[in-house]
Amino acid sequence: MIPLVRLAGLGLVSLLAQVLLAELPRSLRPDLVLVFALGMGLLGRPLVGLWLAFGFGFAMDVLSGSPLGLFALLRGTACALTRLLDRALFLRGSIPWAVYVAAWVTLDTLLMAGVLHVFTRASAPGSEQILALLPARVPLTALLAVPLLPVFLRFGSKAERDGLLPSLSPHGPRSRP
Amino acid sequence: MRALLGRDRFAQGRHRPGLSERGISEALSELLGRFRYPVTYVLLSCVCLVGMTLRRDPHPLGWGSSAILALTLPLERMVALPVREVRDLWHEYVDLVGVRERNEILAARVHRLEEENLRFREAMVSVERLQRLTGFRDRRDLPMVAANVVGRDLSAWFRSVIIDQGETAGIRPGMAVITDAGVVGVVSGTTRGAAKILSIVDPQSRVDAYIQRSRAGGMVRGASSDEVYFDYALREEDVRIGDRLLTSGLGAVYPKGILVGQVSRVESQPYGLFQKVFVEPAVDLGKLEQVFVILEKRDLPDPEEFAAPDENLFTGFTDAVAEAPADISVAAEPPPGGTMR
Repeated sequence: MIPLVRLAGLGLVSLLAQVLLAELPRSLRPDLVLVFALGMGLLGRPLVGLWLAFGFGFAMDVLSGSPLGLFALLRGTACALTRLLDRALFLRGSIPWAVYVAAWVTLDTLLMAGVLHVFTRASAPGSEQILALLPARVPLTALLAVPLLPVFLRFGSKAERDGLLPSLSPHGPRSRP
Repeated sequence: MRALLGRDRFAQGRHRPGLSERGISEALSELLGRFRYPVTYVLLSCVCLVGMTLRRDPHPLGWGSSAILALTLPLERMVALPVREVRDLWHEYVDLVGVRERNEILAARVHRLEEENLRFREAMVSVERLQRLTGFRDRRDLPMVAANVVGRDLSAWFRSVIIDQGETAGIRPGMAVITDAGVVGVVSGTTRGAAKILSIVDPQSRVDAYIQRSRAGGMVRGASSDEVYFDYALREEDVRIGDRLLTSGLGAVYPKGILVGQVSRVESQPYGLFQKVFVEPAVDLGKLEQVFVILEKRDLPDPEEFAAPDENLFTGFTDAVAEAPADISVAAEPPPGGTMR
């Protein structure tokens, strides 16, 4: 229960930090809730991570004007794919993690533009708007994600010691003691 | 993939009896247990997709959303308040370069506006007299409630704000939100103590409007940027930079005659039916602090009521034909080999 509370607290901190960042111009606004969702994909307790990613995505839906469920779906998908790609891309290193987050911010922007196109037709952002958003948002989010990686790994480490998290060693997962 | 599907348990050497040794329910529950991660993901995704598809109109927010707002709004206000205070401090006490020059310009402008105001007052007296004469009621005496903006949109895509008044103050989804400067948007969701406002610059927003000077009609469409578009302005319409756009009163949200914004750019092309008109909103949403919600939901007329006069007319006409003398009913049929006149 306590790790869950800690993780929820971490999500709440990301959400409140996002509130502070909402004062910045939109093109300079990093997406900390996305970083949180990606970090949840690294956890030793996959289902807890998935629920939290969907949950804080939903909170983002409530606090923004998006169709209810849009951010939840995107953040949940980010978490699930991170879990899938964790070992294949060696995401527990700072540089791969930063590159992965940068790629996700780009993908997220394109997905959002696609969803907006489906929902609002003519008002979907054009390529000019997307290109204006990307150059600053992508590196800023990736930079902020790097110091957060040890935090996510620390939360996951206890579960890894207990054998609940797939090991990174080439010999496969460790068995329970 | 094995990690996602939860197949690592195979590697841990657990003994798994065959299907024949177990009941179907046990096998199913084990199967669900093994695939619970993808199953949970698919279920949650389906819930999100259904939520996105079904609830697109303004509606009261459910208990989950209300709980999230109730939890996060006080924290959000606590976090955002110092930042806004510092920003205000900077703008009001430090960043005062050029204030003297601006003051002189504004003083001259005030003088000019006072003269203009005097003329408008005269015109208003005349209009009031005429309105009294024609029995026209002034619809601007609308019931309103003031509210403070307590939250801004967290995403870079949408442009909504959250205010600190909700259902207890009489606010309902679909009500119009304005300031003294002009239109802000529409209430898109409510809880007991808060409401979410979809601003006119949000890509999901549409406002029927017209240009005050030339009366050219069209639709103001948000575009997730600081400018909005004025769609469906015909190419031959007279649209100039600086023209003011007002709400038309068509539709069920905004009363007629509220300022929406000013035309900032016009791109007229030699082809196509419409010209591309960009509008700068009258309200600066980045600095929005207080708004007024119009506590009057403008319902569209019931289609049956709307159809009633026509139906009466039609039935009246058929009754009249039925009751008419025989020579008229015969004359209603076309003459053989000719058209009816």
